[in-house]
Amino acid sequence: MEYGTLERQIHIEASPEVVFEVVSRPEHLREWWADDAKLDPAPGAVGELVWGDRAHVEAITVVDLDPPRRFSFRWVADGGEAPVAGNSLLVTFDLEPSGAGTLLRLTESGFREKGWEIAVLEEAYRDHVTGWERFLPQLQTYAVSLGSS
Amino acid sequence: MIDEDLWSAIGDPTRRRMLDLLLVDGVGTATSLSERLPVTRQAVAKHLGVLDRVGLVHGTPAGREVRYRIDEAQLARAVAQLSAVGSAWDARLRRIKQIAEAIERERKA
Repeated sequence: MEYGTLERQIHIEASPEVVFEVVSRPEHLREWWADDAKLDPAPGAVGELVWGDRAHVEAITVVDLDPPRRFSFRWVADGGEAPVAGNSLLVTFDLEPSGAGTLLRLTESGFREKGWEIAVLEEAYRDHVTGWERFLPQLQTYAVSLGSS
Repeated sequence: MIDEDLWSAIGDPTRRRMLDLLLVDGVGTATSLSERLPVTRQAVAKHLGVLDRVGLVHGTPAGREVRYRIDEAQLARAVAQLSAVGSAWDARLRRIKQIAEAIERERKA
């Protein structure tokens, strides 16, 4: 199994300009990802994603900002460091006009370059593929209790 | 097969936190939930309305308030759907799609 890159694509019935705003602006990141988000739209800017009452905070570094074509950033750095090449995961959104809408391509890479032990690596990858756990801790507990009852 | 309304209801972070609180407490009102969330009572009442419409919670009038409880069968169904979709990024991309398409419709209207 290749733990290098996660790839997805989705067609959206909205212009690339609109989709770009949604994937890159903090006010929208709060709607589709974290409970709170702070992010300056500038390459190199370090912001943060916050879950709960700062129960979980991830630093995020903007890598590339090319509206309305590409937005990329790094996150999940080790030990509270600012995410840079070699210590983090690189997420890239590529936007392409498609009919009246947009084809949005996502890649997340860096599972290898973080240089973790293979077990940790696989765990991190699995968490990112199936990772609603972080967002639904109570629901997950509840689901397990339902499954066992 | 995903129920879009159910998905949309559970896709909002505030509503997920409300569900978390209701799971822990068993029962809650717009007032009691708003005291524990960084949103107004009115906003909580609106979110409860969304959860009620997709059957995730049921309200019982109690004086001037409505007491809400989780519908366990419907929540189990929602959790099963989340597991079936299975991917954090798939879930996020679905939200991105919903939000972008809603904005697009607003701007065209």
